[in-house]
Amino acid sequence: MKKRMKKLASLLLASAMVFSLAACGSSGNDADGGSDSSDGKTTIKITWWGGDSRHEYTQALLDAYTAENPNVEFEATPAGWEGYFDKLSTQAASGSMPDIVQMDYLYIATYAKNGSLADLSEFIEDGTIDTTNVDDATLNTGLIDGKMAGIVAGTNALAVTYNPEVLEAAGVEAPTDDWTWDDYIALNTAVSESTGEESALTATIGPFGDMNFFNYYVRQHGETLFNEDGTALAFEDDSITADYFQMWADMASANVTPDPDEQSQIATLGIESLPVVTGEAGTTLEWNTYPNKVVASNPNLKLALMPGATENNAMWLKPGMFWSVSESSKVKEECAKFINWMINSEEANDIIMAERGVPISSEIRDYLKSKEDVDQTMIDMFDYVDKVTEIAGECPAADPGGIAEINKAFNDAGNSVMYGQATAEEAAASFRTQANEILERNNG
Amino acid sequence: MKNKVKEYKRRDNIAGYVMLAPWLFGFVLMYFLPMLISIYYSFTDYNLLNDAQVIGFDNYVRIFTNDDTFWQALKVTFIYTIFLVPLRLAFALIVAMLLNTKHRGLGLYRTIYYIPSIIGGSIAVSIVWQQIFGNKGVVMSLLSVLGINQEVSLLGNPKTALAVIILMGVWQFGSSMLIFLAALKQIPGSLYESAMVDGAKKPTIFFKITLPMLTPTIFFNLILQMVNGFRVFTESYVITDGGPLDSTLSYVLYLYRRAFTYFDMGYSCALAWILVIIIAVFTVVLFKTQNNWVYYESGGE
Repeated sequence: MKKRMKKLASLLLASAMVFSLAACGSSGNDADGGSDSSDGKTTIKITWWGGDSRHEYTQALLDAYTAENPNVEFEATPAGWEGYFDKLSTQAASGSMPDIVQMDYLYIATYAKNGSLADLSEFIEDGTIDTTNVDDATLNTGLIDGKMAGIVAGTNALAVTYNPEVLEAAGVEAPTDDWTWDDYIALNTAVSESTGEESALTATIGPFGDMNFFNYYVRQHGETLFNEDGTALAFEDDSITADYFQMWADMASANVTPDPDEQSQIATLGIESLPVVTGEAGTTLEWNTYPNKVVASNPNLKLALMPGATENNAMWLKPGMFWSVSESSKVKEECAKFINWMINSEEANDIIMAERGVPISSEIRDYLKSKEDVDQTMIDMFDYVDKVTEIAGECPAADPGGIAEINKAFNDAGNSVMYGQATAEEAAASFRTQANEILERNNG
Repeated sequence: MKNKVKEYKRRDNIAGYVMLAPWLFGFVLMYFLPMLISIYYSFTDYNLLNDAQVIGFDNYVRIFTNDDTFWQALKVTFIYTIFLVPLRLAFALIVAMLLNTKHRGLGLYRTIYYIPSIIGGSIAVSIVWQQIFGNKGVVMSLLSVLGINQEVSLLGNPKTALAVIILMGVWQFGSSMLIFLAALKQIPGSLYESAMVDGAKKPTIFFKITLPMLTPTIFFNLILQMVNGFRVFTESYVITDGGPLDSTLSYVLYLYRRAFTYFDMGYSCALAWILVIIIAVFTVVLFKTQNNWVYYESGGE
């Protein structure tokens, strides 16, 4: 017995050492940022954020590309959203950014303006990245200061996801395309009264978690959130902000929407087990990719337009995420080829299955829709984008520098109303002061 | 003869430095140089991605004149430290005294009470605390069983969240406890014996013998735990993320956020140096008061 324990212990020790050696091996050449080695093989370092399913299929995607192009190898660093940009910023600071980076609209301007991202225009011009089937408005969301800082991986739009079974059980009609915020509140109030649970969810982040929902609300009033230089808020009427805070605070005190305390508990559940998926809540505000993302947990979720979506072209198509190439990369052309393959090849999109948003190539969209075993949620997702395209206004410019701090200020202001520590008017005024100070400091 | 002694001493020193080399190497590379560099960065507008421009004292001026969150973080950290240190030390001393008897399985108890200090700073434990004190957590469920219906959980209430964080800090009393335990064993038994012979009662023995004999240890623990208190990060980062409404925003969490979330590295370095100065001031003040209450048997050497 003792001998066996000893053997086991030494085996464990040995394997631990092997692992740490392997770890050394991969971190040892981190600083190179991709390399053309003498045997003609190219190594591309790539990083992205996401959940387990995205990690799995993305790895399959890389393997498929290597099978087709044996001279290209990948070194992948998958990560969760939490901490992804913390790590990326340190890598950028030390000049060791991976070659291909999954980039968010939130930060692309920050990175592009600091010269960390390569200009991909030359690869579009010489045809390495084929954009003939991509509409210009979508493509140009990656254009920062005249440089193509990233190629859109997929588009999406704000949407209400609802659970038809919950709505039916509560005896309310499914939302129509011309519904308003009042209809939205009435519907969720009815569901909450019938279930005894909060019905109006706002993803995992809450209605103040980032600026997207509020941005939409501002656009509904025919206004713009940030000014062109990103140095101040563009809209001038604080009652817009106050109304938004008050609307959610009223819903929270009526137990129609989660208060910040309940919200922090919901945030720990993960997107697959939000109450709207498990049948305890009626609706959630999310991106239109949501029902398709959670199709394995509940295949019956449906999409509805945002309340009041037809007012003032408030809707927009947002680049879900970008593929960017780091300026420090030595294998930019190979990176461009791979990005092109992901965007335009049927083979790649058979694996991606629009998980990163609705594909930007119209040909690929048609191809995926015509596939035999396609999920209904995916067809809904594509149709939703078509519907939004008809009523959408211009996509807002990439988020200005300092956006993370603004998100925080907005969240605190909104929550202080929910906690009853400030009136909606006070919170709105305080948010304006803080936001303008942050914007001026970062972009002035 | 004298030369030979010198020669031996020199060799000893070399051996010493060689043994120290790995640590020295790490210290200089990982702590000392970065600290020096951070002084420079605290006078620049460095944001991790740009080329740093020297901007003089702007960061420091902004911290003191135009940053409410700084004051909030400072307030939270002070409250945390002021409550944490005495509570943790008192708790550690009580448990140490309980363990300073001859029981069966004492080693086991000692180990068990030390466990929180080892695992306390980890993510997993933080998540457990979240489950205990958070919304739909154990505490809330228990309270509602007892008929006390709480609208918000202890962690979700800006007034009580910090108390939970402090409680978690107190719970990690293990290292202070071990130091107290060692010190208790050092107190000569003869002192207690003669006190008993004179008919002293237990409280008197504690206040006249145990406590005075422990003052050097208390002093040591005080400094150590105070510095730890000012550096609190994991608890407020993982359990509450500084919320609700910044009520648990610790200084170091704010500093971290400034650097890596808001891309404000220069400013963050300035914050770090302000914390260094605060801790230094407190340590110096504590050392100055030492003569008034710390009793060294060997005469203060």
